Amino acid sequence: MSFLAPFFLLGGLAVALPVVFHLVRRTTREQTLFSSLMFLQPSPPRLTRKSRLEHLLLLLLRCLALALLAVGFARPFLKQSVPPDDHRGVARRIVVLVDTSASMRREGLWAAARGQAEAALRQAGPADQVELLAFDRGVTPLFSFDEWKTTPAGDRVAQAVGRLAATSPGWSSTQLGHALVRAAEDLAGPDDAGQPGPREILLISDLQEGSRLEALQAYEWPKGIQLRVDPVKASKTSNAGLQLVTGSDDADRDAGPVTRVRVVNAPGSKREQFQVGWTRPDAPEIIGATVEVYVPPGQSRIVSVPAPTHAPGLSKIMLRGDDDPFDDSVFVVPTEAARTSILYLGDDDATDTHQPLFFLRRALPATRRQAIQVTARISSSTLPANDVDSADLFVITDPLTDAGADAVRKRILVGKTALFAPKSSASATTLARLLGLPSLAMGETKPEKYAMLAEIDFRHPLFAPFADPRFSDFTKIHFWRHRQLDAAAVPGARILAKFDSGSPAVLEVPAGKGRVMVLTSGWQPEDSQLALSSKFVPLLYSLIELGGDGAAPATQATVGDRVPLAAMSGALTLRMPDGTSVTLPSGATDFTTTAGPGIYSVASATGSAPRRFAVNLDPAETRTAPLSEDDLARLGVPVTHAAQPDAVRSSEKKLVLQSLEAESRQKIWRSLLIAALAVLAAESALAGWTARRTMPTEGTPA
Amino acid sequence: MTATASNSSLPSASLISTQALMGIRNLELRARAVVEGFWSGLHRSPYHGFSVEFTEYRQYTPGDDPRHLDWRVFARSDRYFIKKFEDETNLRCHLVADQSRSMDFGSIGHTKARYAATLAATLAYFLHLQGDAVGLLTFDERIRDYLPARHRSSHLRQIMLALEKPVGGAATDLAAPLRRITELVRKRGLVALVSDFFAPLEGLERSLTDLAACRHEVVVFQVLDPAELGLVFDQASIFRDAETGRTLYVDPAAARKSYVEKLEAHCAELHRICDKLGIAYHRLATDQPLELALFDFLQQRMHRGTNARAVAGSPGNLPA
Repeated sequence: MSFLAPFFLLGGLAVALPVVFHLVRRTTREQTLFSSLMFLQPSPPRLTRKSRLEHLLLLLLRCLALALLAVGFARPFLKQSVPPDDHRGVARRIVVLVDTSASMRREGLWAAARGQAEAALRQAGPADQVELLAFDRGVTPLFSFDEWKTTPAGDRVAQAVGRLAATSPGWSSTQLGHALVRAAEDLAGPDDAGQPGPREILLISDLQEGSRLEALQAYEWPKGIQLRVDPVKASKTSNAGLQLVTGSDDADRDAGPVTRVRVVNAPGSKREQFQVGWTRPDAPEIIGATVEVYVPPGQSRIVSVPAPTHAPGLSKIMLRGDDDPFDDSVFVVPTEAARTSILYLGDDDATDTHQPLFFLRRALPATRRQAIQVTARISSSTLPANDVDSADLFVITDPLTDAGADAVRKRILVGKTALFAPKSSASATTLARLLGLPSLAMGETKPEKYAMLAEIDFRHPLFAPFADPRFSDFTKIHFWRHRQLDAAAVPGARILAKFDSGSPAVLEVPAGKGRVMVLTSGWQPEDSQLALSSKFVPLLYSLIELGGDGAAPATQATVGDRVPLAAMSGALTLRMPDGTSVTLPSGATDFTTTAGPGIYSVASATGSAPRRFAVNLDPAETRTAPLSEDDLARLGVPVTHAAQPDAVRSSEKKLVLQSLEAESRQKIWRSLLIAALAVLAAESALAGWTARRTMPTEGTPA
Repeated sequence: MTATASNSSLPSASLISTQALMGIRNLELRARAVVEGFWSGLHRSPYHGFSVEFTEYRQYTPGDDPRHLDWRVFARSDRYFIKKFEDETNLRCHLVADQSRSMDFGSIGHTKARYAATLAATLAYFLHLQGDAVGLLTFDERIRDYLPARHRSSHLRQIMLALEKPVGGAATDLAAPLRRITELVRKRGLVALVSDFFAPLEGLERSLTDLAACRHEVVVFQVLDPAELGLVFDQASIFRDAETGRTLYVDPAAARKSYVEKLEAHCAELHRICDKLGIAYHRLATDQPLELALFDFLQQRMHRGTNARAVAGSPGNLPA
């Protein structure tokens, strides 16, 4: 017989209590009032053999009840033969995952992680197989299973430790989910399916809250693979971080341009008062004015940092007052305004409030993000080649000359977009020429009252912004007259919207790499209410974006992000934040090896102005509060906490579990408890009987 | 001299049982019940005054007060005679009753205190009926009540009330009340001391000596419970002192012999002191009928009175 809670057996010592009470009861039974003790001497306690015999049964019952209770509480069970632990002495397969994300740069974390990883490697037996992986945004194999197998047993640990020593935390985010999936797949690989031993992933990480686990959501965790978490704890819980707020280059009406940053304070932080200010990328301190910010632990505040006006070259915002500096700076390269050139070809006067040009100019004012230049040329005149070449979008409202139409078509074929919105059906020849058709019939229609747009294709990028039911009501735009165009006569034409009469209103006709958008009605008041509606400006911007010319090149990126360089041509030279230069091969479309935060600049061999972009830390890395292991367990990962030597502990745990199961099945305690109750009942009955029997004779003087 | 020695002369079958007597709630009634049957004028006042009741003539001897000469007898017989009258009120009796907590013990249905109070009340009532002045002093470790000797019915009731007070105190001081009596009562009289005498006897002899020196007649009644006399308990238990609250584990069977020896030694010492000073000593168990105590007391008083008269050499009554 074994016991689940043998400590309760100590309760068996309580059987001494009835014995003591029986003795004590003899000696201090009751008090007798006596007139004076002046003639009395104290007597030693005396027990007669008779009195002990009288209550012996009672005493035995009481002792028995206590003993039964003690044994019952100790939860006894009959041991069954336990099969020996299969895993003991069998080769294990372990993947040691070491976190090298930016958050591991905190003080003492990396050294601790290395120590734990080394300890885990040294614990591996000669029959075990170990793989060492470092992970941050991606997974870097440091010592693979194959290497482990091919390396002599004596050198394995030393080599793996050496590789680990050569590694250090980078600046990337923590894609924990990806790393776990990769490790699980390494363990569950087809080569290793027949291995009988336990398979385990040892995760050595700071398990920060910002770790990304999304990859685990769609992953079915293989059976038989345990995740053992060996967390490294930061010595300081205080950490605040700085993040650039997206779209932060807003202008304050009073203070001029400002940059907004978010100051995040970790939940366990002991500091609350911080300063934020601009500095140079290589300067250690804030230059110029600082902004005081108070952030309680676990909260974040967004502060506006006024852009520096006098000191040039300030492209870093620094946070002062934090313990861990790894996430205390963001690099900022101001977004440059995207330049879009629109060539308007029509015969109207820009000041005529009844003409399309008047509305077009007012619909596209210059902003800090986008500088749109509308150039108007008389359509019937000869078009300057320079204007045509530099135009990103053509807006044609009147018939062009043949030469003009050909020039425009040439630009369309290389990828430009033209909006053809004829004022009259006389422009049909121009459209035919633009589309490379011999002729095209176009009629004029004037509905009885007005026409409305119907059957709009909201899936098309032009109308996609209006797809939401809140914005999809076009019925308030009345068209007084429109041109009639037979879409079937235009090969490849796609009708994006129709009038309620069924005739096409908006058509997209691809031509080469570009396209011609045909609007069979004008937006001027003479034709419709379109220019006066709220849909007009978004439609124009949709059109500009459709041409692909609206987006400014990205100036902000996160470490490890792909930075597109498509706009630049020729051999590119990339200057890293530390001053080193990398030459990118000609035709490179993006740059992927942003190793750390800082200001990068790309210059092309053609001598155009170098393009700068800032690379910052992933904002998630700033969230350094510990991640709950339950989050991992919730995603189906069987987590065991790794504070103990695994094999021995797991077998002990198994034994305990088996004992628990046996005990809960046998439930001997229940019988013991019932027996104790029965004994107590018997004891009460006996005690009552004894008391009744002795009561009349007790307590009276003889 | 002790009551136990002479009780046999009274038929005990005709006496009221102590339990029945103690069942009477009113102290005065208890006293009356005891005194019933003893109203036979068994004692006389040792003092001869000049009251209403004539007793005898005595021949004048030089030195007698000439005011007491009976001039009519002189006219008839030409001899000088002194006329003597019985003085009923000249005996001043002081009852000194112990009301300490040790008296609050009783194993047979009534306590020593109740027994002692009844005894004192009986004496008071009896003496009152005799026409004597009765006073009372109660004490524990200090003096509780003092009522000077008077012969009035209301005074008797006051005495009864004082005797009925509950016991108190944390000790018994025997010497202090006797000293007080010595101080207060200058005139010769009777002092009856009722107590269990469960206290050290060192100061008592001195106090009794003082009293005797003042020519007081002193009677000592030691009241004890039967259980106290033989430590009659069958169970070992924690014995708690009624006065001090001190507790002691005592097995009566083992402690009885030593206890009885010590108690007897204590009583013997008290007896010795009384004998030495010519004081009457009565030891009464609380199951003993009170009539016997009264009988013994009166017998002893008669004996003493006879002796006194013999010592005084009375000339006898003259013919009228």
